[in-house]
Amino acid sequence: MSNFKFQVINPLLHSELRLKIMVALDSLKSADFMYLCQITDSTRGNVSTQITTLKEAGYIEVSKSGIGRFSRTTCSITNRGREALRAYEEGLRRLFSERVPDEVDATRKKKEA
Amino acid sequence: MNTTEELDIITRMRGEVKSRQDVTGENLFLAWGYPTVLVLLAEFAALMIWNEDWCVWLWAGIPLIGIPLMIYFLDKDYARTHSRTHDQNNILVMWIFIGFASCLGGCLMGFSGVFRQAFFAYLSLLCGMGCFMTGIILHFRPKTICGILSSLLSAVPLFFQNDLWPWQLLVTAVTITISLIIPGHLFRSYVRNKRFE
Repeated sequence: MSNFKFQVINPLLHSELRLKIMVALDSLKSADFMYLCQITDSTRGNVSTQITTLKEAGYIEVSKSGIGRFSRTTCSITNRGREALRAYEEGLRRLFSERVPDEVDATRKKKEA
Repeated sequence: MNTTEELDIITRMRGEVKSRQDVTGENLFLAWGYPTVLVLLAEFAALMIWNEDWCVWLWAGIPLIGIPLMIYFLDKDYARTHSRTHDQNNILVMWIFIGFASCLGGCLMGFSGVFRQAFFAYLSLLCGMGCFMTGIILHFRPKTICGILSSLLSAVPLFFQNDLWPWQLLVTAVTITISLIIPGHLFRSYVRNKRFE
């Protein structure tokens, strides 16, 4: 159980802002920097730092277009990032279900059957 | 953060992204529909009046008008939404493919004469199928119906062969109106109404 727990907690995704960015990008084909700031309700500096971390881990791709005031930073999730997020979410759900008391679990299983 | 909070964040963010998703691309059908119909009518008029080799270059008008308009509207949409959904991307890729397939057929017809009799049926069918698939992806029934109607009408140009060939242009203008212009206007008003709600 404890081993499993450590496998689940991917330190890169175990941060609120990084997790929010990854989930947002997973639901979209691509999103620009401003969109990520708005949807995560965070400052540009914070989002920029987390984007760099995720990019270095190979979880997202960042492309820049335009010049100066008209430049646009577009982010999209990579296959590696998508797999990591799926594994993380699955792990969280397993951890969550293990915490559910046995009786409730039994009732749920009965209903499912 | 504990497990419950993290799962809550994941669910909340998915809902937030979905609620912010705006239907876009309301001008793209019109951006391609009007230039195509205008060029078809111009080509028909040119063939009826002059019927010379240079008339074939009028076809270049479709990409020359359509591509800048498409880039302009895509950019405008992106500037408003700051994001692109998987559905929007799939539709865009599908229409780019249709565009290339039409262009290839057009080049075969224009420069070698091969495919001359069947090209407009092929073009109408491609646009009808594209319209149908777009309607299915966006869950917008008028586009689906117009796509089916246009696909059914795509066989009509085949009835105008040899000397009657220029009339295929007029029939194709009608099928393109059904597959691009009419659903384009219907979709545009639907999106605008939805945005003002």
